Amino acid sequence: MFICGYHFPASMGNKISHEQVVDKVTSEAGDLSDVSYAVLISENRDGVKQEDLRVEKGSFLFTALADYYKKSDIEGEYKMIYYTNKYQMSEVSKAVDGGVTAAVCKKLDDMLLYRVKVA
Amino acid sequence: MSELRQIAFYGKGGIGKSTTSQNTLAAMAHYFGKKILIVGCDPKADSTRLILHEKAQCTIMQLASEVGTVEDLELEDVCKPGAAEFHPDDTTITEGYIMCTESGGPEPGVGCAGRGVITAINFLEEEGAYDEELDFVSYDVLGDVVCGGFAMPIREGKAQEIYIVMSGEMMAMYAANNISKGILKYANTGGVRLAGLICNARMTDREYDLAKHLAEQIGTQLIHFVPRSNHVQRAELRRMTVVEFADKSDQAYEYRELARKIIANDLKVIPKPLEMDDLEALLMEFGLEEEVEADAIGKKATA
Repeated sequence: MFICGYHFPASMGNKISHEQVVDKVTSEAGDLSDVSYAVLISENRDGVKQEDLRVEKGSFLFTALADYYKKSDIEGEYKMIYYTNKYQMSEVSKAVDGGVTAAVCKKLDDMLLYRVKVA
Repeated sequence: MSELRQIAFYGKGGIGKSTTSQNTLAAMAHYFGKKILIVGCDPKADSTRLILHEKAQCTIMQLASEVGTVEDLELEDVCKPGAAEFHPDDTTITEGYIMCTESGGPEPGVGCAGRGVITAINFLEEEGAYDEELDFVSYDVLGDVVCGGFAMPIREGKAQEIYIVMSGEMMAMYAANNISKGILKYANTGGVRLAGLICNARMTDREYDLAKHLAEQIGTQLIHFVPRSNHVQRAELRRMTVVEFADKSDQAYEYRELARKIIANDLKVIPKPLEMDDLEALLMEFGLEEEVEADAIGKKATA
């Protein structure tokens, strides 16, 4: 099973809890104290930029995006996010971030392509 | 050397199965250096065209009918190396390569396509096409599983891990569930397992949620959501995979991620297909079917 890019062994089955995902992503992300912001930009199918979104620091979504950005080898200042990952990050964030990322997650659930920059 | 893995891509006709499989296999060779044999099991014989840069490869059944019998064929006649970077001798981009063969099938309305598939697979095995160097053999199968013939790679214990290509449309979901039934039938005798659903997205509302929900219900995973992209069509016009056409494009990276997951995947299950009522309830929950009052069923529209 693959969630947020991480492999959860078959022995864990096909229903991984949000807590297990949060534990995995948080431990793999490590120290993020040097990361001050995470910005998402959305694009339509023609590559036209739609809007900027700021992600609340300290949220799971922030951690997952920062981890994704740091580990990604995709070129560019803003790195595209795999659709699977954006939906998975949104799903977990909606469950564990207590509403602080609700507006951003609602956007992530759409069909647009998102790119992320953290710094 | 790692053990040979025999995988198969099944899916409803027209779902984008061959496009998905070729792009994913191309990504496995291009980015991860995997050595692959594709066995196309669709009478359309379009499972290898993007790797070969050709319209359609001559099939084993076609060539056998020209020379008399399949015994009169040589492996080189039917098994062709991929074009450009997918050729075994071209190591400029990758050590990986892709060999291609198509089983073909009978003339429309005559004979059994499944027999063609199994004849082709047996021929390839006997002639040594399943080389020790290979990492993967991949079968591309028209998978509505309406006849036993198309279940041949499963029935004969060839394909061990099955990826179902689907989308968030009713018939694609129905076919995915049906294919799961086919896998279940042979899971205990042949050892075949369902390894995941691949959503080749149509970009409809809540498509990810729907595909994920179906995967969970069947007992498997939605291994990857492949977004729709014009890049794929542009590459296909040049008879190329998007991986080869634009290997740093967003879409190529999506296939790379799917390839990475398939290589690492260990979640292979005996599926639990849904009963028709449960499938319909799922489709209604996600708005693909509208619920009607029981007394309205079979009634004509009022003027």
